[in-house]
Amino acid sequence: MAKILDMPKLSPTMEEGVLTAWHKKEGDEVNVDDLLAEVETDKATMEFRAFDKGVLLKLLVADGAEVKLGQPVAILGKAGEDISALVAQTGTAAPAAPAAPAAQAAETSAPAAQAAETSAPAAQAAETSAPVDRAAETSAPSPSGGGLGRGNANRPAEPRARGSLLDRTAQEGAPREANGPRTAEGRVFASPYVRRAARERGIDLQGAQGSGPGGRVVARDLDAIGNGAPPLPNPPPKEEGAGAQRSTEGAGAQRGTEGAGAEGAAALVRRGVGVPATVGLAEPEIRPLSMMRKTIARRLTESKKNVPHFYLTIDVDVEKLVQFREQINGELESAGANGKSRDKSEPKPPRVSVNDLLVKACAVALARVPECNAQFTPEAILVHQRIDISVAVAVPEGLVTPIVRNADRKSVVAISGEIRDLAGRARAKKLRAEEMQDGTFSISNLGMFGIDGFAAVINPPEGAILAVGQVRDEPIVRDGNIVAGKKLMMTLSCDHRVVDGAVGAAFLAELRSLIEHPMRIVTG
Amino acid sequence: MARNIRFREALREAMVEEMERDDRVFLMGEEVGHYQGAYKVSEGMLDKFGEKRVIDTPIAEGGFTGIGIGAAMVGLRPIIEFMTWNFSAVAFDQILNNAAKLRQMSGGQFNCPIVFRGPNASAKQVGSQHSHAMEHFYATIPGLKVVAPAYPSDAKGLMKAAIRDDNPVLVMESETLYSVKGEVADDQDAVPLGRANVVRQGRDVTVVAYSRMTHVAMDAAAQLEKEGVSVEVIDLRSLRPLDEDTLINSVEKTHRCVMVHEGWPYGGVGAEVADRIQRLAFDALDAPILRVATLDVPMPYNAKLEQLCIPQPDRVVAAVKRVLYRGQA
Repeated sequence: MAKILDMPKLSPTMEEGVLTAWHKKEGDEVNVDDLLAEVETDKATMEFRAFDKGVLLKLLVADGAEVKLGQPVAILGKAGEDISALVAQTGTAAPAAPAAPAAQAAETSAPAAQAAETSAPAAQAAETSAPVDRAAETSAPSPSGGGLGRGNANRPAEPRARGSLLDRTAQEGAPREANGPRTAEGRVFASPYVRRAARERGIDLQGAQGSGPGGRVVARDLDAIGNGAPPLPNPPPKEEGAGAQRSTEGAGAQRGTEGAGAEGAAALVRRGVGVPATVGLAEPEIRPLSMMRKTIARRLTESKKNVPHFYLTIDVDVEKLVQFREQINGELESAGANGKSRDKSEPKPPRVSVNDLLVKACAVALARVPECNAQFTPEAILVHQRIDISVAVAVPEGLVTPIVRNADRKSVVAISGEIRDLAGRARAKKLRAEEMQDGTFSISNLGMFGIDGFAAVINPPEGAILAVGQVRDEPIVRDGNIVAGKKLMMTLSCDHRVVDGAVGAAFLAELRSLIEHPMRIVTG
Repeated sequence: MARNIRFREALREAMVEEMERDDRVFLMGEEVGHYQGAYKVSEGMLDKFGEKRVIDTPIAEGGFTGIGIGAAMVGLRPIIEFMTWNFSAVAFDQILNNAAKLRQMSGGQFNCPIVFRGPNASAKQVGSQHSHAMEHFYATIPGLKVVAPAYPSDAKGLMKAAIRDDNPVLVMESETLYSVKGEVADDQDAVPLGRANVVRQGRDVTVVAYSRMTHVAMDAAAQLEKEGVSVEVIDLRSLRPLDEDTLINSVEKTHRCVMVHEGWPYGGVGAEVADRIQRLAFDALDAPILRVATLDVPMPYNAKLEQLCIPQPDRVVAAVKRVLYRGQA
C-alpha cells in the first residue's frame, strides 16, 4: 500500500527545512537507504534517505520548497498504484512551487475560510443593525423570544453562529487555516473534546462527517467514527505546536517568497518584517533569514536572556607557546621531509596552529578544574565526565560550532587534523548534526581577524566559553628589563549559575600556567 | 436541627448573631431602623440594638457609604444597606475608589472590613432604572468580594462570612427571593467565600447560575430530566473570588456548559465564567459555552415584555439543547 513520506526530523532542533534538491524523480525505484533528497536544516545540509523500498509515485513539494517538520513531501508505493486518495489527503495537487506551499494550501483548500469571509458581513450587519443583541444565546428563537428579537430570530440559526465564530477568530489574529487534519474539502470541524478523545484513542478524524452544525464532529459521533475508521498511522505530531509556531512565523511567509520575483519578495518581506516605509529615505536591502541565521538569532538571544554571564580576562605571555609551536611544526615538516620516498603530489604536512594548542590546553585545564566543564539544569549541576570542546567556525552564512570530542585524550596533532576536517566540512555545509551537538565547553578565536580581545556569548547548555584574541607583539618586563615579547588576551565568559568567579579564575590560572610552560600541554 | 425560614429572616439572623458576637458591627442605611427595613430584612433590629447600631440615614448613598468606609478604616465593621443595588450607582465612586483601593493605597495600613448589601437585579415592574444586575460592574473590581446567595442557608452563611471578612464584601440579595423559604441549620455558620455549590448532580451538561437564577436553572433541569437530559447545576454563590475548581471538575465530566444570569450579555460574570472554562478546560468542551442573560435592552416596564427579557426556564432548556446538538443538524 502506498504511503506518504513526511519531512523527517534531521536535526534535534529542526522545525522546518528547505528541500534543496530531490535526488529521485517520480517513477524512480527506491531502495532502503537510497538518497531521496537533500534538506537544508537549521544546522547543515542533511541527507533525507529512504526507510522503505518502492516506487516514488509522486513528489508533493518541488526543489527549493520550505517544508515543515512532518509535512508530506512524497508518496511511495508500488508502480501503477492508485494514489488519488492519498493525494487528496495531502491536499496538494501538484508539486508546489518554492513559494510557500503552506500558504497556497490555505488559499486553495479552505472553502471554510472563504465562507467565513462571505458570511461575516452578514453577521456583522446583524450585530450593528439590531438593537437587541442576543449574541449570548445566538440564533435559535426560544418559544417566548419571538417578539423582540424578530430580526435575529428569523435568521437561519447555523450560518450565523458559525460565521460569527470564525469571524471572531479572524479578529483575534489567529491563523485562519486549520492546524488539524484536512480533507480534500477542507478542514475537519470537531469539538475540542472530540479532538482530545481522538488523540487518546487513536481515532483518525480525517474525512469524518459530524452530526453537529456545519458537519462538526461532536461527542456523540465518536463511537461511529472510532469503529469505522482505521487507526491513525502515527500520532498527529503537530496538533499542539502548530498554532504557537505559526504565530511566531511572520518569517514563514517571508522565507517562502525567496524564489519569487525580487520585487514581489521585497514587498512581502517588508510586510512581514514591518520595515517602515519612510518617505524620502532609501529602502534597506532585504536579506531573508537563512535557517542558520534564524538559529543563531534564537540560540544567542536565549543565551543572553537566560544565562547570567560574567567575564574574566587574562593577558598571557605566549612567547614560549609561539616558540613551542614553531618547534612542533619544524618537527612535523622534517618528519615529513625525511619520510621515505616522499611523493611530490603528497600534500604539505599539516601545521599546528596556536588555536590547536589552546584547544588542547583548555582540555587539560578543564580536566584539572572540572567545575568549568559543567552545565546548569534547574534540578542539578551536571559536571561532565567528558571534555568535548566546541570550536566556533565562521562560515559564509554565519558560524557553526563543530566539536572535538574527548580533546583531553587526543594529541595536539590529532586535534589539529580534526579541527581542519571539521572546519572544511562546516564551510561545505557537510557537517552532520551530531557533530555539532553536546559540547561541554567552547572556544571562539577571532585572532585571525586582528581582534585583540573580546567577550563571547555562551553556547547553551555549556557553562563557559573562552574568547581568544590575536598574538600581539608587546613590550614586557622580564627580570627588571623591558624586552620585546608576545601577548595573548583571552576572556572567559561564565554562566554564573554554574561557575563562580573563583572557579573561573582557577581555570584561567591553570590555563595560564600551561601556556607559559607549553611542554605541559602535551605532557598533560 | 433545621428550621424552614425565609431568605430575609436568614439574612437578619446572620446580622443579629454577628452584632451580638462583635459589638463593632453596626447596620446603616435608608429605612433600616424605624421603618423596620424597606423589605423588612432588618425588622426588630432597632429595638434590639438601639439607634447607635441601627442607623437610619438620609437619602444620600454617597454620604453614608463614605461614612461607612471611614468607620471601617478606624476599626468598626459596618453593614451598609442599599435600598436596592441600583442606588449604589450614586455611591459607585466611594466603592470603586475608596473601599476597593484603601488597603492597597495605604500599603496595608488600613483594612476596609465593610459589608454592602441589598436587593439586586430585577424585581417586578420596577422599570429600567431599578432593575439592574449590578454584580457585573462590581465583580470586575479587584479589592472587592462579591457574593450572591440563592438559598436561605447560604444567605445566612455568606452574610456571616462577609461580616467577618477584613475586606469589602458585597452581598447581592434579591427582592424576589426575600420570601423564599429554605432549610437553615440551627448552627448554620459562615459559608466560606469563593466556594461554589453543586446543587444538582448531572451527567450531560453543566448549568451555572447564582442568586435567583439558580432556581430558574433548577426548574429547567427538572424539565429536562423528563426529556432524558441529566443536568448538573452549579450555584456559584461567590462571584469574586470565583470557584474555578468546581466549574472545571463539572465541565470535565459533562463537556458542555450553559451560564445563566440576570444582567446584559455584553461582558459580565457569564463571560468571565466562559473565559475560565474555555481556557482551563478547552479540551473538555464538546460545544461552545452559551449564556442565557437578560436581553440586551433597558428593562421594559410592561409586565410581559419584562418577563420576556429576564431569563426563564424555557430559554435555559433551549440553550441546553443547543449545546447538546439536539434538534438540529
